[in-house]
Amino acid sequence: MAIDVIDGRIRLTILGGYLGSGKTTWLRHHLHVGTFGKDAHVIVNEAAETPVDDALLGSVTLLAGGCCCCAGKAALIAVLRRICDDRSRTGGTRFDRIVLETSGLADPGAIVAAIQGDPVLVNHIVLDETLVAVDALHGLAQLATEPLGRRQVGAADRLVLTKVDACAPADLDILRATLAVLNPGAEVSAAVLGDAADLPPLTKGTAPARLPTLPEDDSRGPIFPTEVHVADDLDWSSFALWLSALLHARGDNLVRVKGVIRTPAGRLLLQTVRKVVQSPEILPEQSDHRLDNKVVFIGRGYRPDHLEQSLHRFLGRPQPGAS
Amino acid sequence: MCNACGNPAVPGHWTDAGAATPGDRLRARFHRAGVLNAILRPYGLSAHDGGTVPGIQLSTLSGAQVIVPTLADVWSEAERLIGQPIDPLDPRYLDGD
Repeated sequence: MAIDVIDGRIRLTILGGYLGSGKTTWLRHHLHVGTFGKDAHVIVNEAAETPVDDALLGSVTLLAGGCCCCAGKAALIAVLRRICDDRSRTGGTRFDRIVLETSGLADPGAIVAAIQGDPVLVNHIVLDETLVAVDALHGLAQLATEPLGRRQVGAADRLVLTKVDACAPADLDILRATLAVLNPGAEVSAAVLGDAADLPPLTKGTAPARLPTLPEDDSRGPIFPTEVHVADDLDWSSFALWLSALLHARGDNLVRVKGVIRTPAGRLLLQTVRKVVQSPEILPEQSDHRLDNKVVFIGRGYRPDHLEQSLHRFLGRPQPGAS
Repeated sequence: MCNACGNPAVPGHWTDAGAATPGDRLRARFHRAGVLNAILRPYGLSAHDGGTVPGIQLSTLSGAQVIVPTLADVWSEAERLIGQPIDPLDPRYLDGD
């Protein structure tokens, strides 16, 4: 991924991938090792109102509260135009590269179409590469059930298989064979916590998974973000009780849970993908506490207001109308 | 783990991550056992965590007992014993509207 500016336009790298596929982890590592050079501007888009990822990445432009391929499209175009505008001005900041981390609900294809359809941006920004992170653990299940997951894979120039250390080699082979059917042109690489990992040659004769035909309209309803405020006096072990029970019962429909919770051990970053919970990471203390004790749930199959009611009643009044 | 970007993970099960000192950990275990017990009672189960041995002891009203290592195992064991998962989004925990 050498930076060679062919013309004067800004090179854009889109980093996409499903909810919890490891986009931020990958980006965080590559920003740290300087893959994108010094003059890269990072834009992070989150579908939820409460941003979490920017806490991990440091200085970035954050677009929260709307996925930038649909509800937040106008905001994305405005930010990109401002960057282009600033660059053309004398004394303005000149970025040669933009890295856009999309929300997990975004279709990278729709973002590319939006940029290319904009009369200003099309002359200032050239798409360098669309990278799509694919979760080696959950990728196959997502491809089998989520039309969005297939669209994301289809839009990629390069597929980065994440969490390959946690996946059985035979399952990884099937996923790779399936991806080769969905997007034969994409280069495939692997990463563990963002760091490049070796991919062994694909075992000969591995058959791709049979993916069912998915209806365009998903009968299960859309996936939506919900913000749950965790009361300050609610301790971590009680919260963990509720969340572990919720994930056990509803994990298949809770695609992603992200948030920061204050505990005696420090500020804990909580992240789950379906039923898998990452080992919570302790974040550095900071004066801005606005993010703390807010948890974003992205999923379907429940009413948004039910989550907070349930958190309260499950722990606070455990026997309402019990049989 | 990459030592460039670092990933200071807390060892142990994720539900145990909130306590930093052994004292906090023990207090959290006792507190958790109390809350868990209250949740399980309507389902005819009880939980006990003595703090001395690792794991949580689950018992049924008929006296069957099992010791499970983590909270995640509590819920799958409870599902096995009751015949269905304990769902925090069950209407019994929601305002009836």
